[in-house]
Amino acid sequence: MRGDSGLRISHVGLRGIVGRGLTAGHILDFAAAFGTFLEPGRPVVVGRDPRASGRMAWEGVVSALMACGHTVIDLGVVSTPVVQHALQRLDAAGGIAISASHNAAEWNALRFLGPRGTYLSTAEAGELLDIYHLRKFRFVEWDALGGLRQEDGALDRYLDDLAVVFDLSALRRFRVVVDCCNGTSALILRRMVERYGLDLVLINERVEGVQFAHEPTTSARMVELQLGPLMKPLQAHAGFLFDVDSDRVAMADELGRGVSEEMMLPLLADHQLTRGPGKIVITNLSSSALVEDIAAKHGGRVLRVPVGRQAAMDALAAYRPEQIAVAGEGTGAVMMPQFRFIYDGIASMLAVLTMMQETGRSLAELLAEYPRYSILKGEVRLESPRVPALLVDLLESYPDGRIDRTDGLRVSWPNRWFHVRVSHTEPIIRVICEQRGEAPVELFETLMDKARSYS
Amino acid sequence: MPREHLLKIGVSGVRGVVGEFLTPALALHFAQAFGTYVGRGRVVVGRDTRTSGPMLQHAVHCGLLAAGCDVVDVGILPTPTMQIYVEHIRARGGIGLTASHNPPEYNALKLFNKEGQFFNHYERNELIDLYHQSDFAQATNAEIGQVRPEDGSAKSVHIGRVLAKVDVERIRRRKFRVALDAVNGAGSVMTPGFLVDSLQCRMEAISIDPTKVFPRIAEPRPDTLGDLAELVQKTGSEVGFAQDPDADRLAIVDENGRVLDNDDVLALAVLRALAVVPGDVVVNLTTSSAIDDIALGFGRRVFRTPVGEANVVETMQAVNAAIGGEGSAGGVIFPAVQLCRDSYTAMAFLLDLMAETGKTVSQLVADLPQYVRKSGKVPFEHGRLGGLMQALEEGFPEAEADRTDGLKLMWADRWLHVRSSNTEPLLRLFVEAKSEEAAARLYETAWELLTA
Repeated sequence: MRGDSGLRISHVGLRGIVGRGLTAGHILDFAAAFGTFLEPGRPVVVGRDPRASGRMAWEGVVSALMACGHTVIDLGVVSTPVVQHALQRLDAAGGIAISASHNAAEWNALRFLGPRGTYLSTAEAGELLDIYHLRKFRFVEWDALGGLRQEDGALDRYLDDLAVVFDLSALRRFRVVVDCCNGTSALILRRMVERYGLDLVLINERVEGVQFAHEPTTSARMVELQLGPLMKPLQAHAGFLFDVDSDRVAMADELGRGVSEEMMLPLLADHQLTRGPGKIVITNLSSSALVEDIAAKHGGRVLRVPVGRQAAMDALAAYRPEQIAVAGEGTGAVMMPQFRFIYDGIASMLAVLTMMQETGRSLAELLAEYPRYSILKGEVRLESPRVPALLVDLLESYPDGRIDRTDGLRVSWPNRWFHVRVSHTEPIIRVICEQRGEAPVELFETLMDKARSYS
Repeated sequence: MPREHLLKIGVSGVRGVVGEFLTPALALHFAQAFGTYVGRGRVVVGRDTRTSGPMLQHAVHCGLLAAGCDVVDVGILPTPTMQIYVEHIRARGGIGLTASHNPPEYNALKLFNKEGQFFNHYERNELIDLYHQSDFAQATNAEIGQVRPEDGSAKSVHIGRVLAKVDVERIRRRKFRVALDAVNGAGSVMTPGFLVDSLQCRMEAISIDPTKVFPRIAEPRPDTLGDLAELVQKTGSEVGFAQDPDADRLAIVDENGRVLDNDDVLALAVLRALAVVPGDVVVNLTTSSAIDDIALGFGRRVFRTPVGEANVVETMQAVNAAIGGEGSAGGVIFPAVQLCRDSYTAMAFLLDLMAETGKTVSQLVADLPQYVRKSGKVPFEHGRLGGLMQALEEGFPEAEADRTDGLKLMWADRWLHVRSSNTEPLLRLFVEAKSEEAAARLYETAWELLTA
């Protein structure tokens, strides 16, 4: 993995730096594998983010799907959640969103979606990978090839559904500043202003294929840097920053402070558990323990699964939708049952504004109500063969905690926890450590030193 | 047909049966190799009306964009029109998705250089090497180009070039009654406008719906043009035109509903062209000696090449020919319009001849030098080809021999030509003589030598 070209072929799909690791051939073959994997003869929905390479990838995807006998329903340049939403409405076999989301402009990726708009389960993704590796694609004959049709209005149907769940006209009272990061959120939000008269101030709203105003990272640091200075002068109530395909969001309060991305899930868990009926919060082993406090307040419970979209999808599939309140990550990516479990930054934004509207509290006031947790995150480069020894060492060093070994090692105590795990994307191990109140500096340093001693 | 012929990657590009054989991945990689070869810049992409056209075109776009090229999408367009447009807009090259006269389950990538001509032998070999090396240009996000639709001028550029070489007013005044069969191919989008608007013919047409499948065998031959012949007779048309799916080839039906021999179609075009522009003639070895007689009348030479459009074109370019073509294949190549097969030039030339002379099509054909031609196919076993050719040559020791493409044996008043098919284990035998009897005798003698 040294001298990395960025190419990743995994259960999550296909991702890489276009022209360096990710080639047109990979894209077409993977789309052909998906076309082979899907139920024959039914249409497939395709959308893409505005990256310049998206058009190249789109051409390959369309060709491969047509060759497998699927008619392509093209949504054009739209957010990934809009593709997922359209899939729930259209009678399609599945969908492909062409988007590298929060990665830099030179990246791109194919995201494969099932007929209900959700990401594939581990079993389904495994089958897709096998077809890709075998390269035995089901290409149909000349008189059975699929066609291509444009579907206009996917964005409006999506907004129709948001308007059913959220009282959008009640949100007009808030002035909201949004950094669109030159991505698809600009298309959605402009239309939202037209249709519902929301008071949105958009920056970096030109949809761009090559040069983004900044890295599309949805972190507290980035949102504070971009929106912090604007909040008070604009007298804005809240600020949001979206990644390029607007499935992720970060926020800033009315005082211009970036809110930790860890806060999005607890905040929305609070909102969702209040609404009911679901009582289960699904999250991964690395996200803040604050969510347990909130679940306890509402008589709910937290189900922690390994890090990664795949584990979350598998956990969701094990319950009835009405049992679940919310699912999400510490990255700020959250899924709600009202939208049939798709990561959607726009829905998250509307949920936060709805909380403000319903409680009559400002964003800073809402956040101040929660107990304070401090989280520390670090990473250490480590050769893969050394990982098991480190984990065993840590396990023996902390015998008094509650142990979870489903993804690396998580050890928890009543007021603090740590999680050490191997990254899915880089040859590093990640160390995450959280404590109620002050930061657990000493524990964190000990863990980092131990990890370094194995590198 | 044995499996290996369902896909052919070779000097003529990529051709095959869509589905298991000609896959989108193959089209993509070939296009990316092409983009790598011609370099960054605009590449024209278009297609005939085959159902597999859009699927393959998206794959070609993908490969070209990945190589850093910009795509000019001309959609459904005749092959000669695409070729002219490549040159007209000074593009880096072009890719036409058409299997010409092959059945609908086939498709192919036709490759054009920046002059809008088919890749020559050397260009093709370099491209094939590049394809096999798989070391393609890989554009990064910032380097990826765009796909733009053509600006709508491609058809008028082509038609304008054709009209410049005939007496348009003379043709228009006649208000010819013409019949058309465009096989629902690429000609459907251009030929009616060409005949009716540009040449003010009164047209009766069948099969001009580009959204439908080919209603007949795609190759325009006497046995496939029954409907057009009937249309000509029923409507009292003075001439019938039949195109193949990519409208580079033309067949002609006379006013009596008789389909002209392809050699006569070419001969009429040569007759017209030599009267209009200076230069010699290039035809393949199987083309009628009528061409030599016509050229002699204008004091021009005839150059002979192996069978294949590319061979004819290469020699035409080398000798700066006035006109050329292949009698057997129904292709007229007139470089003053474009160095490629062009059914539009052939149509305009015939109408111009009719307007100038006041003669009917059958009268014009009757005025041509008269030869009798016969042809057939002889299956042969692998490894026996050399022996058969030798037997034939020894059987006619007095004839002059040409071995550039199979074997051609020539006498003062007759010839025979035997060559092996590129796609099947078959020998094709052609003979031509001054009389029916002489042709039959020569054909039978050769047949016996080949099947002994």
